Amino acid sequence: MGLYIRPRSLGIISKPLERDDDLRTSICCLCNGGCGLKVSLDHEGKVQAVFGDRDNPYNKGKICAKPMEIVQTLYGPYRVGHPLRRINGKFERITWEEALKLIAQRYNHYSQENGTGSIVGITSKIGGSYSKLAHSIFSKLTGMANYGTGPICMESELKVRKDIFGNGSASSPLSDVIKSKIMLIVGNNCAQTKAGQFHWISEAKQQGTKVVVIDTRFTETAQMADRFIQIRPGTDTVLGMALLKIIINNNLYDQAFVSEYTNGFEQLAEAVEAFTLKQAADITGVPRNVIEELAEDLAVRKPGMLFEGRGIVCVNNAGASIRAFEDLMAILGNIGKPGAGIISHINNYGNARDLIPKKDVIKPDRKRSATALYQAMEEGEIKMVFIAGNPCVNWPDSRRMTQAIQGLDFVVSHTLFLDDSAMLADIVLPATHWLEEAGVQASVHRVLQWKDQAAATYAESRSGGDLFRQLAKYMGLETSYFPNSPQKAWELERTHNKSIEGITVERLRKTPGGVHFPCPANGQEAERLYESSLFPTPSGRVELARKNNIAIEYINVFDSPGNQGVSPEKYPYLLSTNKVASHYHTICQYSNWAQEMEKQPYVEMHPQTASELGLTDGDPVRLETVTGSLVLPARITFSVPRGYFTTQPYFGLHSPYRQTPVNSLFPVAVDPVGGNFANKNIMCSASAEGRAGQ
Amino acid sequence: MSQFAMLVDVSRCIACKSCSVACMQENCLHSSSWIRVRGRELLTDHLIKYYNPQSCRHCADPICLAVCPMGAIQRGNDGLVIHDIERCIGCQVCVDACPYSGMKIMTNGKVGKCSFCSHLLEINKEPACVSVCPVEARIFGEREFLIREAGLRIKNLLSRGIKAHLEGADKESTTVLYLSNNTSRSNWLVP
Repeated sequence: MGLYIRPRSLGIISKPLERDDDLRTSICCLCNGGCGLKVSLDHEGKVQAVFGDRDNPYNKGKICAKPMEIVQTLYGPYRVGHPLRRINGKFERITWEEALKLIAQRYNHYSQENGTGSIVGITSKIGGSYSKLAHSIFSKLTGMANYGTGPICMESELKVRKDIFGNGSASSPLSDVIKSKIMLIVGNNCAQTKAGQFHWISEAKQQGTKVVVIDTRFTETAQMADRFIQIRPGTDTVLGMALLKIIINNNLYDQAFVSEYTNGFEQLAEAVEAFTLKQAADITGVPRNVIEELAEDLAVRKPGMLFEGRGIVCVNNAGASIRAFEDLMAILGNIGKPGAGIISHINNYGNARDLIPKKDVIKPDRKRSATALYQAMEEGEIKMVFIAGNPCVNWPDSRRMTQAIQGLDFVVSHTLFLDDSAMLADIVLPATHWLEEAGVQASVHRVLQWKDQAAATYAESRSGGDLFRQLAKYMGLETSYFPNSPQKAWELERTHNKSIEGITVERLRKTPGGVHFPCPANGQEAERLYESSLFPTPSGRVELARKNNIAIEYINVFDSPGNQGVSPEKYPYLLSTNKVASHYHTICQYSNWAQEMEKQPYVEMHPQTASELGLTDGDPVRLETVTGSLVLPARITFSVPRGYFTTQPYFGLHSPYRQTPVNSLFPVAVDPVGGNFANKNIMCSASAEGRAGQ
Repeated sequence: MSQFAMLVDVSRCIACKSCSVACMQENCLHSSSWIRVRGRELLTDHLIKYYNPQSCRHCADPICLAVCPMGAIQRGNDGLVIHDIERCIGCQVCVDACPYSGMKIMTNGKVGKCSFCSHLLEINKEPACVSVCPVEARIFGEREFLIREAGLRIKNLLSRGIKAHLEGADKESTTVLYLSNNTSRSNWLVP
């Protein structure tokens, strides 16, 4: 070891934060929890700290670590400040005008030569409401097909819920939980992922709401619950079906609701006969009496709520599980009432209609699924990609995604950081952070909240709202369709979308906590959906069965996409990812504080699995799946079942963590019902790494 | 003026580590938060798991004060144990001596510890860690009030079959009171 000096150690003594009595109000745009924030600026106008907003009725001044960590990423070394162009493998600074001109020229070239389908957007992080609207106008004018957060986050949840109720959004606000008698949390560690809003659940529990957590891991949420039911990975469908079976066979369901407002009850009743309760107990690992007790609890304790998480959505048999649990809530009549319904971070308020006359709308000339995107890039069918996000870390088979993007003719990345995906771009454009952009933010309470721009725009960064309008100009498109400010964008969106017509910026500014949607022109806001028992399905009723008349079809996790045909001898274990409180997507990895909280990713494993592999805590372990392998330190815990590994998915090579993304271990496989990529329950092998004789 | 204190309720901690980051933000710490949240897990006839936020407890009779060769640690009349970083020579004897893992080694080689955000108390604000905690696992107030509140919480936990106790209220008195689980949960199910 050589001598090394820590420059910070030479006399710097920390002093408390300088007081700032002129705090700006904002809304956190990270997890869709919608926590109110107070932002403190230093004398240079830079953000120096973020606090909770005590006037916001939803978080009451409480926040999790993430919005505080974000401050460090704003001015850190990875932040992009200027447009960059790759010349001979190196980035050189160019002006916005040069960058836009180049992109416009290439865009028009590929569009004319190879068709509109030769250009796609991978746009999970496009920005706030202003940028989203400009992006959708741009896509309509050019025929650009986009892949947003859907396939990597909530596609299955959205689709199944839309099939059942006619709307993929949450049916009820999280704040309703204090009115419910039972709260069923399935595959959701909200104590970590929505920590700032978790007080709603802990308050409800203190008031007598029974909190039941179903999960494979003994999570922080499970620790806080009245009842924790540990389930074998990937068997949630069977538990949901067993609960349905008990409730149907014992006539514990809401018969009036079922006969008046639902279709497909017979098919559902037939489908749940696929397993006996004994079989269900054997498959799920949940004792029969526990299943029976939960069914009884759900039947007796009404109203009840359901809060599903990525644990049953980002898996390869998601569609069936989601349908089982949401059908369960429907036949119990737990819908459209205070304290009843489904909580979700999906909160679509509908799209603005008729913004552009039909003559100017161009449809993409090809449609591809998210799985087909890889091949289309590899085979040269796609020439150009517009990236706003970090697909090289958070899309499955990340190595393949990286190579596919590398092979393209032209890549643009509109980004906050020089991350794994931006490093592959031909043009890198600096994006504004959400603290630097005004707009509307939706939350898990089914409200829309307005935030003003809290901090000065960093260096030359521009929002998606400005970028798409300016790019349209260089491309020779009609620019009059684009709004030129966040306020005007919202006004345009509001006046073209009946479900939010009553929500003006002025009203949002005046109402701490925001306005519930839908809220039509008469200004009447609806706290929850379906209170009138009108369901926007084609039949107007809740559809308990799928269109093929099979209500629910359980697929064993080992026979599900991604695991099909994989040798159980070679890959005997299951690999999953799980979330932690200090990270969000791939953003927080650029914060020192987040790194202090989570020094490095690790693999959780049961002590018996560790001893089978000859591992002790902290030993390096090599995990291998059909798509790749990765070495991580072992973390031995009783919180996970035997034969199961789980790690954290946030990290990339171009970050202080310098980690191979764990998503490179997940194959490109989707849930057959809903179309979600799986980043859990994929078969893997494991071995001790780097020791002689092994 | 009645005496103030802080109550840390281990039974409620969800390990979001918001307190730990808020501490770094408020005290401008680049790293080495003065609060560290440690997971604990043990298997009896079932699994017991909880999180323990470790920081200075501001003892009535602080061992760190006794062992410091430089007199860099002082206890004020308000019950706060304050560390003077100018006097600290970084010998770290106090780090070993503290039974609560309250003294942290900072990147500058010296020692750092919770100041109870005394600069915030001066302007009638609560400490940063308390102001962010989403589940009221950290609350600030008059000592008598907090001891009563802890009593209510212990009773409530007991009604759900969880035994807990309060540390720091009488003997081994500290300004930061800890409500700790001393038993297991009855609802743990093993497949």
